[in-house]
Amino acid sequence: MARNTKTRFGLAVLAAAAALAASACVDVRDGGGGDGATTDGPLEIAVVPKAVGHEFWNTVRAGAECAAETAGDVTVEWDGVDAETDVEGQVNLIQNFVTTDADGIVYAATDSAALAPVTQSALDAGVPVAMIDSGTDPQPDEVPLYATDNRAGATEAANLLAEALGEGSHDVALIEFQPGSQTNTERVEGFTTGLAAHEGLNLVGQQPSHSDVNEARRVTEDLLTANPDLAGIFAANEPSVLGAVQAVEAAGRTGEVVIIGWDAAPDEISALREGRIAALVVQNPFNMGYLGVANMVEHLREGTPMESADTGVTFVTPENIDTAEVQAVLEPSCDNPPVDQ
Amino acid sequence: MTGPRAQAGEWLRERIAVAVSEFTAATALVVLFAVLCFASPHFLTADNLFNIGSQTAVIAIIAVAQTIVIITKGIDLSVGSVAALAGVMGAIVVRDLGFSVWTAALVAIAVGTLAGLANGVLITYAQLPPFIATLGMMSVGRGLVFIVTGAVGVYSLPESFQLIGNGVIAGIPFAVVVTAIVALAAGYLLSESRFGQHVYAMGSNLEAARRAGVPVRRNLIAVYALAGSLVGLGGMIAASRVSSGQPNYGIGLELDVIAAAVIGGASLFGGQGRIAGTIIGAFLIALVRNGSVLLGINIHYQQVIVGLIIWAAVYFDQYRRRRLETRV
Repeated sequence: MARNTKTRFGLAVLAAAAALAASACVDVRDGGGGDGATTDGPLEIAVVPKAVGHEFWNTVRAGAECAAETAGDVTVEWDGVDAETDVEGQVNLIQNFVTTDADGIVYAATDSAALAPVTQSALDAGVPVAMIDSGTDPQPDEVPLYATDNRAGATEAANLLAEALGEGSHDVALIEFQPGSQTNTERVEGFTTGLAAHEGLNLVGQQPSHSDVNEARRVTEDLLTANPDLAGIFAANEPSVLGAVQAVEAAGRTGEVVIIGWDAAPDEISALREGRIAALVVQNPFNMGYLGVANMVEHLREGTPMESADTGVTFVTPENIDTAEVQAVLEPSCDNPPVDQ
Repeated sequence: MTGPRAQAGEWLRERIAVAVSEFTAATALVVLFAVLCFASPHFLTADNLFNIGSQTAVIAIIAVAQTIVIITKGIDLSVGSVAALAGVMGAIVVRDLGFSVWTAALVAIAVGTLAGLANGVLITYAQLPPFIATLGMMSVGRGLVFIVTGAVGVYSLPESFQLIGNGVIAGIPFAVVVTAIVALAAGYLLSESRFGQHVYAMGSNLEAARRAGVPVRRNLIAVYALAGSLVGLGGMIAASRVSSGQPNYGIGLELDVIAAAVIGGASLFGGQGRIAGTIIGAFLIALVRNGSVLLGINIHYQQVIVGLIIWAAVYFDQYRRRRLETRV
C-alpha cells in the first residue's frame, strides 16, 4: 500500500515535470521557414546522407559545411542511418527533424517512393526541403534536386570501356550495388544504353555488391570464373570497384581485365595510378552538399525559389589525374571549392 | 526424477536426431555440388574451389561461434557489428601504429573477446535475455565502428595486411586452414570436453544444469567470450581479404550465420547442434551463391533459394526427428 502511494506520487511529479518541459518548448518556433516567409538570424539546416560510412558522404558534408560557413550564421545538423538499406530509419530521422523544427532539410533519399510522403509532411509543416544525390518520386515542384546525371555518366562509362578495349568482340560485366535504388537503376540503364551503341561489347554478367566490398569481391571472383574471356568490368560505386579490383588482382588478371569504376576513394585513386583501374567516373559530392545548403539558405533568407541543377561528373584517367581541374574535384576544400560561383 | 537408464536413452535419441539432420544437410550439399558440376563447366575447377573456400571461411568461422551460443539456447545478434569493429581496429593498429598483421589479428580477437565478455556479463549478471543483450551490442558495436573510423573506410594498408585473408599455404587459402583449425578445435571442445557437456546441458535445461552443480554463470560468460573471439578473428580475415577496414561490413551477417547453424541442425530451443553440421550449412549457402553467379541467376532468386533451403532443412529435420522419436 505504502509503495503504491509512493509510485503514484512519483508519477504525479513526473507528469508535472513533463508538462512544464512541454510548455517551455512550445513557443520556441517562430513560424520561420513557412511558405514565402523569409527568416532572419541564425539558421539550422538538417543535412541527411543516404548513409554514413562512405568517403562520398563525408565529402557531401564538407560541401554543406563550406556553404554554411560561406553564408554565415548557419549550422549544419549532420545525421544519417548506418546502412542505405535502412529506409524506415531514414524516414524516422527526417520526421524527427520536422518535429524538432529544423529551418530546412537537405537530404538524399534512400528510396524514391518510400521517402515521398515524409518530404510532403515536412512541406506541410512549413519546413522547406531540397534533395541531393537522389530525389523522390513524386517530387513536389518546390523541391529541387542537386544531383549527378547518373544516366549520362554511366553511358559515358560504356564509351570509355569500348575505347579501352578497342576493336573486336569483348565480354563485359557489370557490378551494380543496390538493386531497386533509384541511383542504381539509373546507372544500370545508362550503362546498358551506352553498351547498345557498341556492337562489340556483350554484357555476360550482372551482379550486385550491396555496397559491401567483401560481397563485391565474391561476385567478381565468380563472374571471372564463369566467364574466362571477360575483358572488361564496369563497377558502379566505391565498394563495388574496390571488390572488383581485388578479385581481378587475386585471379592474376590485372591489366587483362579493364575496369571502369565510379567514385574516388583513396584506394580507388591509388589503383588508378597503378594501372589497375582504367578510368573513374567521379561525381562532385562537394557540390551537392554545397548547392543544397547554399540554395536553401538563399531561399530562407531571400525567398528565392530553389531550382534543380546537375552537379556534374569528371572522367578521371591516369593521364588527367594531376591537372588542377581534376584535383579540385578529387581533393575538394572550402579554400578552392569545385563549384561554379 | 528420471533414472540413469532413461537419461542414457534420451542422450542416444538426441545423438541420432542430430546425426540425421546433419545427414539431410550433407545430402543437400552433395546433390547441389553434383548439379553444379553438370550445370557449369567452370564449377569444378581448382580456381573456383579455391574461391569458394575463401568466400566461405569468414561465414563458417562466425557460424561456429553462433552455433556454440545457440546450443546454450542463446543467440548472438551482434556478430556483424563486432566483426566490423574487430576488422577496423585491426586495420587501424596496422595503419596508425605500424603493428604487424599478426599482432593486429590478436588485437581484433581481443576486441571480439571483450565484446563477447560484455554480452556474457549482461546475460548472466544483469540477467538480460541473450536477444536483448546482443541486440544492444549490435547497436553499440556499430556505433563504435563509426566513432573510431570517423565513418570512413580504413585504407592505405601495407600489402602484408592481406596475408591472413589472401595468403596461401600449399595451394590452400590460409583462411581455409584457419577455418579448419577453428572447426576441429570447437568440435572437439563441444563433443569431448567437460565444458562441452556443460554447454549442451545448459541449453537443454539451464535450471537442471545449475542444480547439478554446473557453474552456469561462468560457463555462459565463457561461451559468449569464446564466440566473441571467433567473431573478432572472422572480422580480421574479412578486413584482410579486402585490404581495408570497412565500417559497413557485416550488416545482416547474423542472419547468414544463424541460417548456417540452423541448416546444420542446431535448434534455437537449445541443447542441439554440432559444428560439422554448421560447416555443411555454411558451405551450402556459399554454394548457392557461387552457383547462382556461375549460372547467371539473378540475385533476387538467390535470396529466395536460401530462404527455401532454410525452410526445407528445418522441416525435414523436425519431420525425421519426430519419426525417430515415435520409433525408438
